[in-house]
Amino acid sequence: MIVHDDEPRLMKGNEAMAEAAIRAGLQAYFGYPITPQSEVLEYLTVEAPKRNFVVLQAESELAAINMVFGAAGAGARVMTSSSSPGISLMQEGLSYMASAQLPALVVNVNRGGPGLGTIQPSQSDYFQATKGGGHGDYHLLVLAPSSVQEMADFVFDGFRLADEYRTPVMILADGALGQMMEKVALPKAGSLPFTPKPWATTGKLEGHDRNIITSLFIQPEKMEQVNLQLQEKYKRAQKEVRFEAFHVEDAEILLVAFGLAARISQKALEMARERGIKVGLLRPITLYPFPSKVISNLVENVASVLVVEMNAGQMVEDVRLAVNGRRPVSFKGRMGGMIPSPDEVVHEIELIAEQHRVVQV
Amino acid sequence: MIRGTITVETEICKGCELCIGACPQESIQLSDRINTIGYRYALLAKDNCTGCVNCALVCPEGAITVYRQKKSSAKAAPVAAAAK
Repeated sequence: MIVHDDEPRLMKGNEAMAEAAIRAGLQAYFGYPITPQSEVLEYLTVEAPKRNFVVLQAESELAAINMVFGAAGAGARVMTSSSSPGISLMQEGLSYMASAQLPALVVNVNRGGPGLGTIQPSQSDYFQATKGGGHGDYHLLVLAPSSVQEMADFVFDGFRLADEYRTPVMILADGALGQMMEKVALPKAGSLPFTPKPWATTGKLEGHDRNIITSLFIQPEKMEQVNLQLQEKYKRAQKEVRFEAFHVEDAEILLVAFGLAARISQKALEMARERGIKVGLLRPITLYPFPSKVISNLVENVASVLVVEMNAGQMVEDVRLAVNGRRPVSFKGRMGGMIPSPDEVVHEIELIAEQHRVVQV
Repeated sequence: MIRGTITVETEICKGCELCIGACPQESIQLSDRINTIGYRYALLAKDNCTGCVNCALVCPEGAITVYRQKKSSAKAAPVAAAAK
């Protein structure tokens, strides 16, 4: 259970995340600067000498993730953060870590792409974050904050999940949440316990077996066993599904949005309700495992579903799988670092409401 | 009448545009150039600033400084500035 400070502070999302990481018992951080995420590295670099943990600016993101790999293998509470192009460079290491079953926290402060792209906020890394990203049959557990408060809290949740499931965990934020300044009650230091890691390579004791960390399993029979272990783990993680629902009880149109898009949708929901359209909002907090069952149940009572994202339509595919053709699912999105305004979303809601009325007549 | 002007610490500005929304005179806009962290920064684009300080109050980064000058007569202004 996370205990928070009584006094809130005004902090930038990136800084709140960095401070929360220190309070969560961070032992090592490896990273490389990239806008809009650089404040994490900057903050930790200033605090490291005073608060006893390792910070190293690697020569690239590729090097950073492999340092994380090493530290995680040695049982350290370790973290890295980057933004979209940097996270792409880390995919090889993430796949290796998923295979070697190592706990670590990876933060993606998503910016507009593809390519080097822009530095403005985007949610275009949804597929990469939730479907594995690198090669092989694996997933990261993915948390999507929508406020500076959650940026801080999810660092604690992320480390807990990583240790519990022995897997890399990703926080999928975006450039606006990273740069945004908001009131945040930081989680208290020491409220996240360290669990023993008997598998870690911390030196062989006499009479004990040698611990080996590897992602290479040459015999296919063995590789399949590792895959089965991973799949069993992802099945077990289904109980970690988290979401938030607003006004879904009497909703005729269900909005589904995560992160920053969910905050925009919440404003749009209020505006639409003022105009007499019954709108509800479901915000998935865990993007993997995805709250498919919740959506599947909710959709029985609504007429239509609208997914709002800051990309060309990625989470909408998971929503469509959950809806399974029972209701129409439409999509509203902006791309390349542009943010949809609440007015744009309300306009889309009105169009759907209009269509729905026509069908009823 | 009070005449105002602003200076923006362009290396701190993250282009969030809050000041643009807060300016009653619509005198602020984003630059075409970017700073070293990559953001288009705010700048005074029109010569009609009243020194109301709205922009500096809403700036989350504290990047804006506002200057005010009393415009009683054309001659007095530079004298006052020189005396400082």
